[in-house]
Amino acid sequence: MKFTMKYSLVLVMMSFVVFSCDDYLDINENPNFPTDAPIEGLMTRTTLESARNTSRTAGTVSYFTQHFASPNEATSTDTHQPVSYGGTWASLYSVLSDLAEMDLKADDLDAPYYGGVAKILTAYNLGLLTSMFGDAPYSEALFAQTLNPPYDSSEDIYEVMLDMLDMGIQDLEQPSSAVVPAADDYIFNGDRASWIRTAYALKARYLNHYSKLGSYDPDAVLDAVDDAFENSNQDFQMNFFEGEGTGAENPWYRLAVNNAGLLLGGWLSEQFVDHLNGNIYGIVDPRIEFITEPVSIEADPRFGEYVGTPNGAGRGADPEQDVRAVLAVGSWYANEPTDPLQMATYAEMKFIEAEAALAAGQPGRAETAYEDGIRAHMEKLGVDPADIDDYWANPDVSTNIDLDKIMKEKYVAMFLIPEAWNDARRYDYAYEEFTIPANHNPDLGGQHIRLVRYPDSERQRNAAQIPDRGASDQLLGRIFWDAP
Amino acid sequence: MKIKQLLFVVSLLLCAQQVYAQDIAVTGQVTDSETGETLFGVSILVEGTTRGGVTDMDGNYEITVREEDEALIFSYVGYRTLRVPIDDRTTINVSLEPEIGLLDDVIVTAFGIERERRALGYSLQDVDGQEIVASGANSLLNALQGQVSGVQINRGGGGAGQGSQIFIRGFTSLDPNADNQPLFVVDGVPISNETIESTGRPRGMSNRAMDIDPQDIASVSVLRSAPATALYGVRAANGAVIITTKSGRPGEVRVNFSHSVSREDVINRPDYQDVYGPGFGFNFDPNGFWPSWGGKFEDNPTYTMTIDGQEQEFPMQYYNNWKNSMQAGYGVDNSVNVSGGTQNATFYTSVSDSRNRGVIPNNTWNRTSIRVNGNARTGALRVGASLNYINSGGNRVPFVAFMERLSYWNTSADVTDWRFDDGRHKGNDILGTGSGRNPVFDANTNTYEDDVNRLIGNINTSLDLTDWLALEYRIGIDTYSDQRTEIEPGPLGLENEFVWSDGFIEENRINSRDLTSNISLRFHRNITEDIGFEGRFGNDIFDRELQTVRARGNIFEIPRFAHFSNSQDILIGQGLTERRLIGVFADVNIDWRNTIYLNLTGRNDWTSTLDEDNRSFFYPSVSLSVVYSDLIDMPDWFTYGKIRLSYAEVGKDARPYMLSQVFFSPTEFPLNGQRGFSRGGRLAPLDLNPERTLSNEIGFDFRFFENRLSLDMSLYKSNSEDMIIDVPVSNATGFTVLSANAGEIENRGIELTVRGTPVQTRDLRWDITSNFTRNRNEVISITDAVDAVVLGDMAAYINRPRMQLVPGQSYGAIWGTSFARYYPEGEEPSDPDVLEHDRPLLIGENGFPVVDNEYKVVGDALPDWTLNIGNTVNYRNWDFSANFDFVMGVDKYNKLDQWDAAFGHTEKTLDREDFKVFEGFLADGTPNTQEVWLGQGVGPDGRDYGAGYHRTYYRVAIENSTEDASYIKLRSIGAGYTLTQSVMSGLPVQSIRAGVTANNLMLWTPWSQYDPEAFVSAGSNLIGLVDLAYPGTRSFVFSLNISL
Repeated sequence: MKFTMKYSLVLVMMSFVVFSCDDYLDINENPNFPTDAPIEGLMTRTTLESARNTSRTAGTVSYFTQHFASPNEATSTDTHQPVSYGGTWASLYSVLSDLAEMDLKADDLDAPYYGGVAKILTAYNLGLLTSMFGDAPYSEALFAQTLNPPYDSSEDIYEVMLDMLDMGIQDLEQPSSAVVPAADDYIFNGDRASWIRTAYALKARYLNHYSKLGSYDPDAVLDAVDDAFENSNQDFQMNFFEGEGTGAENPWYRLAVNNAGLLLGGWLSEQFVDHLNGNIYGIVDPRIEFITEPVSIEADPRFGEYVGTPNGAGRGADPEQDVRAVLAVGSWYANEPTDPLQMATYAEMKFIEAEAALAAGQPGRAETAYEDGIRAHMEKLGVDPADIDDYWANPDVSTNIDLDKIMKEKYVAMFLIPEAWNDARRYDYAYEEFTIPANHNPDLGGQHIRLVRYPDSERQRNAAQIPDRGASDQLLGRIFWDAP
Repeated sequence: MKIKQLLFVVSLLLCAQQVYAQDIAVTGQVTDSETGETLFGVSILVEGTTRGGVTDMDGNYEITVREEDEALIFSYVGYRTLRVPIDDRTTINVSLEPEIGLLDDVIVTAFGIERERRALGYSLQDVDGQEIVASGANSLLNALQGQVSGVQINRGGGGAGQGSQIFIRGFTSLDPNADNQPLFVVDGVPISNETIESTGRPRGMSNRAMDIDPQDIASVSVLRSAPATALYGVRAANGAVIITTKSGRPGEVRVNFSHSVSREDVINRPDYQDVYGPGFGFNFDPNGFWPSWGGKFEDNPTYTMTIDGQEQEFPMQYYNNWKNSMQAGYGVDNSVNVSGGTQNATFYTSVSDSRNRGVIPNNTWNRTSIRVNGNARTGALRVGASLNYINSGGNRVPFVAFMERLSYWNTSADVTDWRFDDGRHKGNDILGTGSGRNPVFDANTNTYEDDVNRLIGNINTSLDLTDWLALEYRIGIDTYSDQRTEIEPGPLGLENEFVWSDGFIEENRINSRDLTSNISLRFHRNITEDIGFEGRFGNDIFDRELQTVRARGNIFEIPRFAHFSNSQDILIGQGLTERRLIGVFADVNIDWRNTIYLNLTGRNDWTSTLDEDNRSFFYPSVSLSVVYSDLIDMPDWFTYGKIRLSYAEVGKDARPYMLSQVFFSPTEFPLNGQRGFSRGGRLAPLDLNPERTLSNEIGFDFRFFENRLSLDMSLYKSNSEDMIIDVPVSNATGFTVLSANAGEIENRGIELTVRGTPVQTRDLRWDITSNFTRNRNEVISITDAVDAVVLGDMAAYINRPRMQLVPGQSYGAIWGTSFARYYPEGEEPSDPDVLEHDRPLLIGENGFPVVDNEYKVVGDALPDWTLNIGNTVNYRNWDFSANFDFVMGVDKYNKLDQWDAAFGHTEKTLDREDFKVFEGFLADGTPNTQEVWLGQGVGPDGRDYGAGYHRTYYRVAIENSTEDASYIKLRSIGAGYTLTQSVMSGLPVQSIRAGVTANNLMLWTPWSQYDPEAFVSAGSNLIGLVDLAYPGTRSFVFSLNISL
């Protein structure tokens, strides 16, 4: 009996000993994900996401610039409601984190060409972030230094952006790099000269933002422009990929296809359409047919006309299709899933040059740059040269070049580029016949939105750090260069 | 290591007890006088001495007596104690008579251990299999509703196969993703009760305990307090539901056949308004986006449209699409079981089939179950095995989208006219070619079928080593494959076709495998005449593997040919999760004269989910039970009195892979031959330790008037500390979530079960059982790093109600925007986080309430108290039952109400042409007197009211749609008649029972729409946020049971 007893005790213990081998419990390494990523994979992801972040931000701010208008009445973004753009915020920080990882890895691998791209894209995404949200965490962010990262002023962030661009240029000018980007760089396929030109273009853009401030230095802007793109073939843009519905394709193309499938979106504002169709300026801009389509219902009295949708008012009694101007499938901006998505262009540089030259007291340079800007954008869209000449021949276009004219033309060239909102705010929305949307958020007291509010995620997780931007639920707060 | 030593020392002590051999040996066997089954563990005492013994697994005993000894005393739980004179015999076989009315005093606790109720120092409640079957529900959880105090069970809605959720003694975890539901154990083997929600749109997938056929269940014990669950370890930290399935009994083969049919109809459908038609701002527009803010139907009997230059007139009428789009549900259940056996071997087999149809079109769920249980014994060895094969599944409808699309649907269009003759989708405009996805088309064409094949089996053996010591081993497996196929057929490729998707096929393969091994040494021995000693030591291993593979093929080249080979784009994902646990435990019970019981348990677990340094954790429990009515003389009417006290700790580990910081490749890659990677959002924690829950409990049992009235009360308090929380962190940190040990959550409550038999005559018996529960939950602390742990939120158009854990508030707190309240100067809210509902409104200069965008607690989704009252009446061959459920003081956010405010469907929005003065104060303290119009556009007073009160104000404040979801339900009412053998002489039938049950026949609730119980996903902790839920139902069930 005692023997059986002992035997069974041994059994119990054995089963314990056998199974308590540490090996048996060492299964907590997540088998579904790698613990590190190749630098090429980070390049791929960050170039793609930078382009997508461009469309994410433009998808919102194009309503504020009244390039877009909602097909439905009184929708939130269209009427400047305090919407939480948490997805955009998270996407921007996600790509900023990946860029920071890439930059670190580039240091480790002695691969300055990766480091240079990382820095330039960091500046670019920071620009998207701060111009939409204002102050934002950066100096103690991205590596979980603290769980409640403090907010840096937008002014400080601009310092960082400009430093990043300079350092990025330096990195890319290094004689060699242990690893060299190629096909993993979706934007420039590893071409360093393109990246350097892009860095100068962004520098010109950001320096030009200081236009309302005393510290504005138009000469510095012009210097940067000189080293930026020389023609439209060098534009900072990314070609997308086949793969319908997967997120691989051009987001504007997807928006247009969805709209055609009656998931409504991408409707053009009456402001933008009237800007182009002659209603405001009495000149039909030949670009209009490359951007949208006229009324195609023959029975409709407006057949053949371009009809936009007033912001905040919705489409009224009009149907979902064939009447109002929309971002049309087959138009220049939404032609193919693989179309490029523009982030900064030669045309933009020319308008920046025009503006800076004007400020620097060089009207001749301004005039030339202004004409080059118009022609560059029209040529890029494929406008017939004769039509371009006709347009330029109109004295309302080609004479008495002032800031209003420059901003008017730049407004068209910046369609779907989020920089358009920076222009609108610098210009205090002073475009011709530019009005407050219908059903406008009453808290804004008839003023245009200046920043979007901090997203709910940030209000929940980092509330104490959020700067106080007043009673309008932050919407009338301003980025530092947006002086009243 | 200490545990091992302890085990050894205790065992040695046991060995040291030498058998005192002398004089005459008496042997014999003890059996049940009714069934003839042998009885294990019967205590035998030599009268007037401290000498004695117990029977072994086969009911045999051996005892030594002296010449002067006169008699033996046989005593056994639930049986009459018997005194047998020795009369110089050496073999004394005894059969003990069950003590009627006390037999239910045996209860199944952990590991299938049957223990006397009186010996328990903690609370435990059981439900008999008959009560489960009598509920008429074909799902175990639904059958348990209201039957156990301290337990909250919610039904998702009326969907066929839709999951239910169960919470015991509130919520104990701060982790938004933690499973707060108890462990399910069938015949000693834990099984999975997971709910794996559909990818994409929610469809109310089944909780896996639904696979168990209620007809197979002999009894269910609910272990709700920590000492009871300590033996199951970390996985039972939220309690355990112990299911014992039916087994055969020695004797003739018995055959039972049962059949039921049921019909289900939607309950509590709101009153929809048929006054205003489609359009916005009182403009009638049957072709627009807005379903019911337009002109009146009576003013618009027809609508004129120009088609191809021709003016055409269309008649207009109101359609109640909410009613018309849904149908009656039904269920048909059949099952047969055959059981029997001999003294040494018994068996039970069953086959059952359940077919169900939901109230939303194309929603089905079926279950087929086959079970075999067998037990055999020979000599010292007993072997049992059981095997249950289940096939279940059906077609699941995306009910959230269904209800949402109904909200968008024009009331002038008939939603049931869902396609053209050529199969094209029909929209809600006059021509039917426009946008607006038809929900009926969607439900009928977008299919999502799950097909679960599951095997639950166990082998259990026990070997008697001595007459007081046995070795038990049990190995169990629960494995299933869940094969899911979603097909969105896409367009037909015809002209004028509304296209929302180019079609896709998605295949999901879920393979789950749980293995459990449990070995233990069980002893049962009286130390002296007065002191009993029993218990067990053991080792427990759990090993789980969950594998998923998901493939999706997008865009069909050939229309409507759903196949990967026809897809332009194929995406594949996979996942593997493994978790392992090892435990050693000891459970020791000491009693004094069957009156005072002391129970000690200790368990050490080692988990795979924590670092090597933190993976081992020990937790003890102690409980005491005193049957004081046996110690003190009580008046005659006081039959029984017991007090129990317990203290317990339970540890809990982390979910797998919370320690890893990883990179991932987003789904769109590879692209252009490149694969992109991004840093994962989870930040690796520095030091993660197990969670710990400390519980104290005191309980009282009283029985009066020979058990005619009994009362069982528990008071408990449990504090869960060092909670493992996924703390969402600012995106700016570069991460989104961090796991940390932080925070404490407290649950305290009262549970009360009162049973009574007010009437008991020869022909008539009336029993009442009532369960009362009151649980208070408070988040004591969370990590300092964040102000709140966000459980989650719900996108609801313009707003986003949220559940978050904030110290001082309840787990169930619902946070949201509100109408601001007016505070006179010098006064302020007592808690700035909580909305003071009874304060007057602050009215703005424009005459409307001011919306306060700061999130405050606007409601609490944990009920103040719940009560269930069950009545059963037996009169001769008739039986009647009525069961009432009270759930009181519970708030939930009703998204459908907000949706109605946005779209104007219900009669609530009929005030759209009214003027109103909002009661409240302006900021300067003067009462508001300004009259405002509630409609859209320019009002009769010439003022432009924009989108109107309902859209601009009402729906913006989350407070307004946070409704009181309290309810009183007549959960079930039933009647049955049993024909007994005497009536059917000559027929080979023992009995036939026919019965009718109605569930949810009556419902009283302030909740405005459908079922206040409903939710979207059974696996979610967001109990306070009700998305557009599957409408609940009332059902009528006819059932027939035949025993041969």
